[in-house]
Amino acid sequence: MTVSSVAVLERPLEALWRGLLIYRFLTLVSAVAVILYLLEDYATQVGAILVVAVMCGWTAVTGYGYFGGLPGARDLRGRLALADLAVTVAIMATTPLVQTAAQVGADAPVMGSVWTSGPVLALALAGGVRGGLAGALVVSAALLLVQARPERELGDVQLLFLAGLTVGFAATVLLRSAERLRRAVASQAAMAERDRLARAVHDGVLQVLGYLRRRGAELGGDAGELGRLAGDQEFALRGLLVTGPAPVDVHGRHDLAAGLRALGSPRVTVSAPAHAVYLPAHAVDELVAVVAAALANVAVHVGVDAPAWVLLEDLGTGVEISVRDEGPGIPAGRLADAAAQGRLGVTRSIRGRVLDLGGEIRCETGSGGTEWIIRTERA
Amino acid sequence: MRDGVRGHRMDHQDGAGVTITVMVVDDHPIWREGVARDLTERGIHVVATAPDADAAVRIAVATRPQVVLMDLFLGATSGVQAIAGILAKLPATRILVLSASGEHTDVLDAVKAGAIGYLVKSAGADELLAAVRRTAEGIAVFTPGLAGLVLGEFRRIAGTPAAGPTPALTERETEVLRLVAKGLTARRIGERLAVSHRTVESHVQNTLRKLQLANRVQLVRYALEQGWADEWADD
Repeated sequence: MTVSSVAVLERPLEALWRGLLIYRFLTLVSAVAVILYLLEDYATQVGAILVVAVMCGWTAVTGYGYFGGLPGARDLRGRLALADLAVTVAIMATTPLVQTAAQVGADAPVMGSVWTSGPVLALALAGGVRGGLAGALVVSAALLLVQARPERELGDVQLLFLAGLTVGFAATVLLRSAERLRRAVASQAAMAERDRLARAVHDGVLQVLGYLRRRGAELGGDAGELGRLAGDQEFALRGLLVTGPAPVDVHGRHDLAAGLRALGSPRVTVSAPAHAVYLPAHAVDELVAVVAAALANVAVHVGVDAPAWVLLEDLGTGVEISVRDEGPGIPAGRLADAAAQGRLGVTRSIRGRVLDLGGEIRCETGSGGTEWIIRTERA
Repeated sequence: MRDGVRGHRMDHQDGAGVTITVMVVDDHPIWREGVARDLTERGIHVVATAPDADAAVRIAVATRPQVVLMDLFLGATSGVQAIAGILAKLPATRILVLSASGEHTDVLDAVKAGAIGYLVKSAGADELLAAVRRTAEGIAVFTPGLAGLVLGEFRRIAGTPAAGPTPALTERETEVLRLVAKGLTARRIGERLAVSHRTVESHVQNTLRKLQLANRVQLVRYALEQGWADEWADD
């Protein structure tokens, strides 16, 4: 985060306050120009000049105040906006005193004219929608009171309310989103720090578990059993920590490679491409379940510690998965017998699932072991 | 190099001959010391250890080990970086990746950078010793996992439209690699394909060489696409 973006988060309305300063200055120039242009028409020229002087002075005072003062200083702009409103109404109230009856009758602009909308915007920035509406209400009331034909001012009144409402709304939304952003940034920073710590700690844990497994295997006996347990934990933890490609792509498809890798253990070696192999989520779930069932079958029929190998290949048009063990093989006819006896285990959980996906499965078995080869095409 | 190993065995008996020199790079002291001790006990000469990529390159240049055992996660630095750094200065060095993490992209990058073998850290001390000996001889040390990665990478390269020829695997090489990935040993693959296990090993080695070549071809092609070649021509 840069310093300026932090400042935006801390004081999200600053840009709008700056904008208000410019608006105030431009409206002052315009209002003063009108008064000076019509100076000869006024009942008292000295009074008109005095009003202009007060407007200029007050614009300077509020300009300084709205600028925000020193960083970290108390934000008094809400109070200043209220004072601004009072001074503005006072300026408007001088209209019957400074203007001739003819001017008032002819609907000459109220003293301050467009400049008087300033405090409405200031209140909207300081107090949101409510502030803006309150400011618009007061200035509109003053406008209607000093003008001879209030019905002609309705357009201005509408504009004042509209300005108060929009600017107030914008201020509220900006504050709220800045708050949300600030929270998100804070939580992101906390997460990143946690990740960093986790990486360091977990890497250490992985290393120690791996070392235990290795030494345990060398020492044998009870130490070997401890080492084996450590090895199981090492695999489980590693599976959680691997930061590969996202397991889900933008179309909601899942990464089959990540799904299969999760089945790895000290006895099960999973080999897959380094890149993600995306398939529809349902297909991934089913294929992972099929491989898990085949591996369970190895554990049951070959032995709980029997090694097994899983290979996933992305063929472009489809995928091929091989699950291999080096057991005694499946005797001819055993699968058919099991199915005939109503034990549908392998048939249903492996074959059925693959066929439901529209894939093919074949089993090569012999004295050198058993290999299931599963192939599905991409839709 | 085969003689080197034999010489080492005699070395145990008469204290003469050529020993394999090894550097162990690992950020974790338990492993660094443990692996170094295991190798030393088995007659390998561990000439140096290093905790990070920068130190690894510096110390390798000073000690010129035949084999570097490289962890991939080196704190703030990466083993892939260290491999590239060492091979840039000492191209004859043989690098065996010994990694605890399952960061498969890192493993693949390490092999592309020039490592000729990969072993998981939980491998036993004797397995490690055998792998170090093979690496010193220049024989690729492949796990099924690495074979799966290399196979996947060639399929990926074949699937991406290329502007020109890219090194591809022969049918036989693909077949061998698939069998390695399915967990068969070189000897059993040899039996199955009716060739010697040496032939199998040389096929496997070729796949690595081609992968490194493909990596270079891709880099050059990328450079051409970026128009860097024109700049070189202008120079």
